[in-house]
Amino acid sequence: MSQQFVGDGDVADVLKLLGVEKSFSGQPAVTALDLAVPRGETCGLIGPSGAGKTTSIRIIMSILFPDAGKVEVLGRPSALDAKDRIGYLPEERGVYRKMRVGAFLKYLACLKGMPEALARSRARELLAKLGLEDVEKKKCEDLSKGMLQRVQFVGAIVHQPELLILDEPFGGLDPVSVRLLKGVISDERRRGTTILFSTHVMAHAEELCDRVVMIHKGRKVLDEPMSSLRRRYDPTRVLFEPLDPKANLDGLRDIAGVVSMQVKDGEAELQVAAGTDPSMVIREVAARVVPARVEIARIRLEDVFVGIVRSDAKSGESEQALRQHLQGLTGGAA
Amino acid sequence: MNMFGRIRLVATREFLVAVSSKGFLFGILVMPLIMMALIAVIPKLLNQRGTQVNVEVAFIDQSAALSSALGAELSPAAVAETRNAGRREVQQMGAAGRQVADAVLPESVPTFTVKNLPANATVDSQKQWLADGRIGKRARRALVLMPADAVVRTEGAAGYGNYRLYAPRNLPADAEGILHGALRKVLTVERLRSAGFDPLVVKAATDIPRSPTKLVSPNGEEQGAQALNRMLPFIMGVLLFIGVMTGGQALMTSTVEEKSSRVVEVLLAAVSPLELMWGKLLGQLGVGLVGLGVYVALGVVALLQFAMFGFIDPMLILWLVVFFLIAYLVYGALMLAVGAAVSQIADAQSLMGPIMLLLMVPYMLTFVIGATPDSALAVASSFIPPVNAFAMMARLASSSPPPVWQVLLSVLAGIVGACIAVWFAARIFRVALLMHGKPPSFATMIKWARIG
Repeated sequence: MSQQFVGDGDVADVLKLLGVEKSFSGQPAVTALDLAVPRGETCGLIGPSGAGKTTSIRIIMSILFPDAGKVEVLGRPSALDAKDRIGYLPEERGVYRKMRVGAFLKYLACLKGMPEALARSRARELLAKLGLEDVEKKKCEDLSKGMLQRVQFVGAIVHQPELLILDEPFGGLDPVSVRLLKGVISDERRRGTTILFSTHVMAHAEELCDRVVMIHKGRKVLDEPMSSLRRRYDPTRVLFEPLDPKANLDGLRDIAGVVSMQVKDGEAELQVAAGTDPSMVIREVAARVVPARVEIARIRLEDVFVGIVRSDAKSGESEQALRQHLQGLTGGAA
Repeated sequence: MNMFGRIRLVATREFLVAVSSKGFLFGILVMPLIMMALIAVIPKLLNQRGTQVNVEVAFIDQSAALSSALGAELSPAAVAETRNAGRREVQQMGAAGRQVADAVLPESVPTFTVKNLPANATVDSQKQWLADGRIGKRARRALVLMPADAVVRTEGAAGYGNYRLYAPRNLPADAEGILHGALRKVLTVERLRSAGFDPLVVKAATDIPRSPTKLVSPNGEEQGAQALNRMLPFIMGVLLFIGVMTGGQALMTSTVEEKSSRVVEVLLAAVSPLELMWGKLLGQLGVGLVGLGVYVALGVVALLQFAMFGFIDPMLILWLVVFFLIAYLVYGALMLAVGAAVSQIADAQSLMGPIMLLLMVPYMLTFVIGATPDSALAVASSFIPPVNAFAMMARLASSSPPPVWQVLLSVLAGIVGACIAVWFAARIFRVALLMHGKPPSFATMIKWARIG
């Protein structure tokens, strides 16, 4: 599967946006968006529904045209000039209901300039990878929703694109399909494909991204590699759950390096002083109270996001709604 | 892949999907078959009409001059002779006339029995007899009252007295017609004779059969098919209409389907809106051409059948294709724009209304323009898109074809019209393909086209 891309190979940033603006009948949807995605990177465009993710992606795809600003895709001024090298899975995706799956995928691949025979074999291979071995001859309308979404995903990558743009690829998918899809996305990553995908579920981004770009109300509020994000939000918290829920946790406050402790629902969260090795704290905690679970709190994008937009989440209730949305528990706009 | 490659792929898919759909197969193949079957069957059905009936005619002859003459005129031999004379006349109109004669002149002829009543018998006394229902399935009754002055005028009167025919509801129309014809004939003969003329001389003098018109053209004398010539402009209108509707309707529905199924955004990742539009336009053009071709071929076969193909200028078919292309591009582009503007088929209906009107009016005008091909209306409308394709086709097929420069100018006007329509559709296509929700009005669509 490894394959070297030729032509425009020296373009460092596969995708570049500069000061992009777009509004719909006076209502700004995207404001002053800058974005640069280097070759081979997997970038997550995250934010709640209505943040402007789909609009940004449609601008990148030249389906919408920005009111102001510049777009550069694969070294070209418009995605229209590089369509054959881009794979795109729109959020609202459809199929020709009466068309057979194999014919539909072949049609899409041929439109992207792939020879017919290669298109057919590649479609077959990808369908098999996504657990759809025997649907090639079936009509699209005869498939279940989950199967259809996997077919649509195959449609986006069948022509072996250099740049893959996925708008909410996991939206409405069952867990099995999500797992299969993530597997194929990882394969594409290994192949060297540059990937931009949007999601409102932070866990997906944490799992797949090299870098995250957060959008809130049309503005970019964060653009950082996951690695630096993890460093920046230094692991200074230790989560502890005692085996005996009634255990007395007060003794934990005295551990060297612990600044404060909060107990909630029988679980303690210890704030560790900067510069203190959290693993030392963990050892000490486990020695004092028998643990059911003790771990270093990992950075959660959800917390980062909520932290950034806290000013908008005025009441506890709306913050909780936003968190549920970011966890993928609710689909609608936050 | 280049632009033309993508357009070709889209067009091919569009064409194949359309021609393999049930609606197309029905419209293109089954409809003509049904029409042909009807043409074959209807004459037979007409012949079925009216089982042979026997009409008993009660005759009160107050003129005392007609009883034997009427009996003779209604004898089976005389009735058959009259009918055959009519058939011969129709048959002179050519091969098509023979078919018509077979169709409208049924094989079963009613028979008549004349019952002479005394001159002083009254109609009232016979009403019971007339209305008697127990006379059997095939028996019918009628009563004729002939006044005293029907053959000889009373002194000082301007005209003759006229007969009265009394009949119950069940007297068949053809029997009634034969009865009236026979009465008129015997009255004419007797009136002429009583006025001192020889009826045979008068008949010979007044019997002038209609002579078929010989058409003269620069190529010499041609055998005429006037009826066909008069129909031709209208037939051209029908063919244009069928071709445009076949392609245009499918264009609209397939675009709405792509929008409502949301497959359009997937497509837009592979092709530009303009490429998609041209692909669809060309694909359905192929469908329209197939539809047109089937109907033209049927027409040619029908003409060959009646040995009338020589009456049609083959150039007419070439012009039909040219003006079909123009009409298709204009109407097809408009229907495409409607398809792109709405999200559901139901929403398309209100926008299709004006377009259908714009299509129906020129089609109706082919009647008028074909009859008066040199009128100011005909000439002017030859240069105004979108009417011009229909107007020019009607004139080309008419008895007085327009000069070549007018045809070429009409083609030019058509091309300009088609360019404007396609431009309009392209603008709408770009703006509206991803819009969902409330369908726009025409005013909104024009605004979209202006600001893009």
